Amino acid sequence: MPNQAKYKRYIWELPVRWTHWFNVVSIATLAVTGFFIGTPFSFGSSASDFTMGWIRFVHFTAAYVFAISTISRVIWSLVGNEYAGWKAFFPCVTAKGREKMVKMMRYYMLMDKEVPETVGHNPLATTAYFALFLLYVLMILTGFALYAQHAPNGIMHKSLGFMYSLFSDQGMRLTHHLSMWLIFGFIINHIYSAWLMDIKEHGSEISSMFSGYKFTVKKED
Amino acid sequence: MSKKKTEDVRTDVEQDLLKRDYSIGEILKERGVSRRDFLKFCSAMTAAMALPASFAPRVAQALDEVKRPTLVWLEMQSCTGDTEALLRSANPTIAEIVLDILSVDYHETIMAAAGHQAEEALDKTIAAFKGKYICVIEGSISMKDGGVYGSTGGKSHLDRARQVCAGAMATIAVGTCASYGGIAAAVPNPTGAVGVREAVPGATVINLPGCPVNADNLTATIVHFLVFGKIPALDSHGRPLFAYGKRIHDNCERRPHFDAGQYVEHWGDDGHRKGFCLYKMGCKGPATFHNCPSQRYNEKTSWPVAAGHPCAGCSEPGFWDTMSPLYKRLPNVPGFGIEATADKIGIGLAAGVGAAFAVHGALNALRKDKEPVEETKEG
Amino acid sequence: MAKIVVDPITRIEGHLRIEAEVNGGKITDAWSSATMFRGIEKILRGRDPRDAWFWTQRFCGVCTTVHSIASIRAVENALKIKIPPNAELIRNIIIGIQNVQDHVIHFYHLHALDWVDITSGLKADPAATSKLAASISDWPNNSATYFKGVQDKVKAFVASGRLGPFANAYWGHPAYKLPPEANLMATAHYLEALEWQKDVIKIHAILGSKNPHPQSFLVGGMSIPIDPDSQNALNADKLIEIKRLLKKAQVFVEKVYIPDLLAVASFYKDWAAIGGGVGNYMSYGEFPDAAGNLWFPSGAILGKDLSKVLKVDQGKIAEYVDNSWFENSAGAGKGLHPFDGETEVRYTGPKAPYTNLDTNAKYSFVKTPRYDEKAMEVGPLARVLVAYASGHKETKAIVDHVLKTLGVGAEALFSTLGRTAARGIDCLLVAQQTPKFLDELIGNISKGDYRIHANEKWEPSSWPAEAQGYGFHDAPRGALGHWIKIKDQKILNYQAVVPSTWNASPRDAKGQRGPYEAALIGTPMADPNKPLEILRTIHSFDPCLACAVH
Ligand code: HEM
Ligand code: HEM
Ligand code: NFV
Ligand code: SF4
Ligand code: SF4
Ligand code: F3S
Ligand SMILES: [Mg+2]
Repeated sequence: MPNQAKYKRYIWELPVRWTHWFNVVSIATLAVTGFFIGTPFSFGSSASDFTMGWIRFVHFTAAYVFAISTISRVIWSLVGNEYAGWKAFFPCVTAKGREKMVKMMRYYMLMDKEVPETVGHNPLATTAYFALFLLYVLMILTGFALYAQHAPNGIMHKSLGFMYSLFSDQGMRLTHHLSMWLIFGFIINHIYSAWLMDIKEHGSEISSMFSGYKFTVKKED
Repeated sequence: MSKKKTEDVRTDVEQDLLKRDYSIGEILKERGVSRRDFLKFCSAMTAAMALPASFAPRVAQALDEVKRPTLVWLEMQSCTGDTEALLRSANPTIAEIVLDILSVDYHETIMAAAGHQAEEALDKTIAAFKGKYICVIEGSISMKDGGVYGSTGGKSHLDRARQVCAGAMATIAVGTCASYGGIAAAVPNPTGAVGVREAVPGATVINLPGCPVNADNLTATIVHFLVFGKIPALDSHGRPLFAYGKRIHDNCERRPHFDAGQYVEHWGDDGHRKGFCLYKMGCKGPATFHNCPSQRYNEKTSWPVAAGHPCAGCSEPGFWDTMSPLYKRLPNVPGFGIEATADKIGIGLAAGVGAAFAVHGALNALRKDKEPVEETKEG
Repeated sequence: MAKIVVDPITRIEGHLRIEAEVNGGKITDAWSSATMFRGIEKILRGRDPRDAWFWTQRFCGVCTTVHSIASIRAVENALKIKIPPNAELIRNIIIGIQNVQDHVIHFYHLHALDWVDITSGLKADPAATSKLAASISDWPNNSATYFKGVQDKVKAFVASGRLGPFANAYWGHPAYKLPPEANLMATAHYLEALEWQKDVIKIHAILGSKNPHPQSFLVGGMSIPIDPDSQNALNADKLIEIKRLLKKAQVFVEKVYIPDLLAVASFYKDWAAIGGGVGNYMSYGEFPDAAGNLWFPSGAILGKDLSKVLKVDQGKIAEYVDNSWFENSAGAGKGLHPFDGETEVRYTGPKAPYTNLDTNAKYSFVKTPRYDEKAMEVGPLARVLVAYASGHKETKAIVDHVLKTLGVGAEALFSTLGRTAARGIDCLLVAQQTPKFLDELIGNISKGDYRIHANEKWEPSSWPAEAQGYGFHDAPRGALGHWIKIKDQKILNYQAVVPSTWNASPRDAKGQRGPYEAALIGTPMADPNKPLEILRTIHSFDPCLACAVH
C-alpha cells in the first residue's frame, strides 16, 4: 500500500460538501432539541421562562436549514458531477453496480479480504444514502405537518393536507420520533464505515468530505 | 281529562300543524320571553359560533324570521352521554330548546310516547316535514352481520339511519361515536361500528365529535344553520371550523407553562397544584382540535385540563386507538409491549447497531487485508 | 293470544324491548330484550389497566361516573393500592351528587309522565294548585300566579300546534288518577327540576372538569389537586361553591321531590300490590370511610325475608348466556365467574325488520347474572331494604316515616310503588349525607392534608407480572361490579356485571325470569294498545341498557 502511488482526484464538489455538513449540523441540532421536545425536563423555574419555547424555536429554525439543504442537494443531483448525480444512488440497476455491491457486501461480511476501492460513493453506501434520503423526506414531511397545525387551513397546512389523511396526528408524532432513532442507526453505521474505509482504502475518505479530494489508485479517466 | 277531549286536542294540533307556522322570535314573544333575554341568547350564540359580536343583530333578525324547526334525534350504539350533555345546556337551556326553539318530535330519552306510538310519531314527522327537518344522530352504527348489533322497534339502526337521513335537510352527528364510530369502533371493533358519514354515504352530515359533544357547540351549529341557511364551514374531518378550527394546545391556559418548561411530574406534586402543563402526564392537547379551553363545559365551569387531568383527544377520529394510552404522550409502538416506549425501542436499536459495529471493527482490526491492485479498481 | 310489543321503551337509557302476553286484562308472561351491543369488555383487552376507567365510563353517559369508580377500585384492589383519604372523600362527593341528580331526573323526566297527565293540568285551578302545594311543602315557588304562569306556558305550547316530545302519548289514559291540580304542580316541578339538575351537577365539573363523563379519576386517587393557596386547585372558592350546590340539591329533594313523591304515591296506592318481582335483593354497600367501612351496608335478602341479611360473597356470582346472544365455553346451563367471564357475541335472533322475537330461543344482548343461581333485584329498593333490615339508623327513620305517611306496611315496598318510593328515600339519605363528606374534606385540608394520589404503584414497572381484583360500587341503579385480570401490565380479561344486567336479564336455563320479567307478571292492562302500565313497572327500575349490555 504505501508503495503504491495514488492520484489525487476532485470528487466532491462544493455543494455536496456544504449540504453534507449543513445536514450534519442541522440534524445534530434537531436531534438534541427534538429529544428534549420528546422528553422535556422541568427546566423552567418561572412561568416567564421560555425554555421549551426556545428549544422548539431552535428545532424549527434547524428544520428550515435542514429542509433547504436537503432540497439543494436534490437539485445538485441533477446538475452536479457523476459522483453527485442521482444515478449514483441506484447502483443496483446496472450489472456492474450489482457486482460491485456483492463485492462490497462480501468485504463487509468479512468474507473477502480485498478492499474494493471506490472513487465516488461506495455502492452499498449509496443504497443506504437513498434509504436515508427517504427518512429525510419523512422527517421533513411529518415535521412540517406537525408544525403547520398551529395554523390550520394556512397555506402550509393546506399543502400538507395529504399527510393528515395518511397519518393520524399521533401516528405522525410517533413516526417523527421513531425515525430519529433510525437516523441515529444510520449515523453510527456511517461514521464507522467512513472511518473504516478511511483506514482501509487509504483514500483520505474523511477529509474528502472537507476538501473534496480523494486519493485513488487509478488515474482520472 | 276525558278520552274524547284528548282526541280533540290532537286533531286541533294536527290541523294547526298544517296552517300555522310561527317564527322562533314570535314563539318566544308569545311565551313571555323578553326581548332582552332573546337578544342575550343571540349574543351567546354569536360568541359560540366564534363570530364577531357585531353579528348578534343579524342572528336575532334571522331567528325572528325562522320557523321553529323540527328535529328528530336518533340513538344508535350510544351511551346517551350526548343527550345528557344536551340536558345540561345553558345557553339556551334544554327547556328553551324543547319548548321554544325547536320542535323535538322524536327523542327516545325524553319523549312521552313509547313503542308503536313513538314509532308513529317518527313516521309522521319525517313524512310531514320531508326535506325540512334536522336529524341528530347519537352513537355509532353497526354494519357487521347486516347491522344486527343495533335495532329499535324491530328495525336495524342502519335502516333507520338511511331512512331518516334521506329526508333530512341536514344530519348532525353528535359525539365521536356518531361522527367516527367512537368507542365501539375501537380495535377489534366487534360490531363493525362506523360513523354516520360512513354508514349513510351521500347524506349531508356535520360532525360534532367530542365524548360527549359540547352542547354549546350543538346549539351553535343549529343556530348557524338557521341564521345563514347553510351548514358552517367544515374541516377535513367534517367538523365546523368555529368549534374545531384550533388546537387545544394553542388555546390552553397552561401553555405558558409548556413554553416555560414547567411540567407536572407526579400527580399531586407542586407543579400539579400550581397548574403546570400536563404534557408529561400524557396530554393530547397538542394533537387535538376542539374549543374546550374557551367554550368549556357546564356553563363554562371547567374542562379536563383545568381539573388537572390530561386531554384525551376525544374529538379526534379514532382517538380511542390513536390517542391511547391515556397517560403517555406518544402511542405505543405497534407490536411491542406496553412498557416499550418509542425511546426504549430507539435506544435498543442504536445500541444494537453500535454493538454490531464494535464487533465488526474488532474483527477487522484483527485481520490483514489484501491491498487493492490496479486491475480491481473502478474508474 | 299474540304477544304485545313495546319497542322502544322510551324515557330510559338505551334500547329495551318488552314483549308480553296479556290475558284477561293482566300480563301473564313477559320477556325483556336488549337490542344493542358494543362489546367494550372485548375492546378493553390488551390495554393499559390505568386507562380502563376512561373506557368503562363510556358504558353509560347517564350514570356517567359509576363505571369509572368501579374500574379504579378494581385496579386498586388488584394492585393493592390504598388511596389517600381526600381522594376517597372527593369520590364520595362525586358519587353522592351523581346519585341525587340521577334520581331526581329519573323521577321527573323519565318516570313522572307515567303518573302525571300534563294535558289535564291545563284544566287546573291555579289557586287550588297553590293551596295544594303549600299544604305539602314550604317550597317558595307555590303562589297561584306562579302556577298560572306555568299553565299559560303549557297552553301556549300546546296552542303552537307542535307538541314535540309530548306528542302521541297516553294523555287521557284511564290509568291516570291525579287531579288536575296535582298534574299542574308536577308539571311545574318537571320544569324546575330541569333547571336544577344542570346546576347541581356542576359539582362534577368543579371536581372533575365536566358532566357527563367527568375526567379526573386516576388509579390511586384523583387528578384534581388540592391547594388552598392555588388558583388551579381545589381551594376555598371552589369548596364553598360545592357546599352551596350540595345545599341546593338537598333542599330540592327535601322540599320538592319527597313531597311530590308522597303526594303522587297517595293516589296510586294500588301500585303497592303490583310489580313485586323476584323478591331477592342485593346491595354492595357504599361510601367507604378512611378505614374502608361502608356507610350504606352491603348484603343480600332472599325471598323478601327482611329478618335475615346475608353477607355478599362475590365468588357466588356467575353469568349465564342460555337465553342471551352469546356463546360460553362453560356449556349449556353453566355460568362463568366474572374473573373467567367471556363476551363471545353470537346473534341468532330474527333478521330485521321483525315483529316478534323468538322468545323460546335466545332473545337478548343482556347476559344473565345470578347470585348462587338466584335472580337478584338490585337498585335503590335493594339498597334501602338491606339497610333497613340491617338496622341502619338513618334509613330506618326515613322508611318508617314514609310508610306511616302513606299508611302502608313494609310489604308495600316489594312493588312498583315501593321501588319508586325507595328511590326517593335513597335520594334523600344521600342528599343529607354527602355534605358531611365535604365537611370532612374541608377539615382535612385545614389540617394541611393536600394528598390526592398514591404514587408508589403508578408506574407499571412496579406491578407484579400477574394480578387480579374486583371493584364494587352501589350505583344509582344498584350493585355494580368490575372484575379485572392483569398480565404483563396489560388487561388480560375485563368483565362488568352491571345493575341493569341483573335487572334486565332474560330467563336462565332453569327458566327463572329476570327481575323486569317477573315484576310485569300480574300487571293490569286497561288497553293493551296503550301499554302505560308496562312503562310504570319497567320505569320503576330506571333501566339503563347501555349499562346492562356494554
Ligand atoms: C432529522 C431531523 C429531525 C429530528 C431528528 C427530529 C426530532 C424530533 C423529535 C425527537 C421530536 C419529539 C417528538 C415527540 O416525541 O413528540 C420532534 C418534534 C417535532 N419536530 Fe422534529 N425532528 C427533525 C426534523 C424536523 C423537521 C424538518 C421539522 C419541520 C418543521 C420538525 C418539526 C417538529 C415539530 C413541529 C415537532 C413537535 C414539536 C411540538 O409541537 O412541540 N422536525 N422532532
Ligand atoms: C448527522 C450525521 C451525518 C449524516 C446524516 C451524513 C450523511 C451523509 C450522506 C447523505 C452522504 C452522501 C453525500 C452525498 O452524496 O450528498 C454522506 C457522505 C459522506 N459522509 Fe456523512 N453524514 C453524517 C456525518 C458524517 C461524519 C461525522 C463524517 C466524518 C467522520 C462523514 C463522512 C462522510 C463521508 C466521508 C462521505 C462520503 C462517503 C462516500 O459516499 O463514499 N459523515 N454522509
Ligand atoms: N345499570 C346501570 Fe348504570 C347505573 N346506575 C351502572 O352501573 O346506568 Ni347507566
Ligand atoms: S361519543 Fe362518547 S358520549 Fe357520545 S355516545 Fe359515544 S361514548 Fe357516549
Ligand atoms: S396542558 Fe396540554 S394542552 Fe395545555 S399546554 Fe400543556 S400539553 Fe398543551
Ligand atoms: S379529552 Fe376531550 S373534552 Fe376536550 S380537553 Fe380533550 S378534547
Ligand atoms: Mg359484562
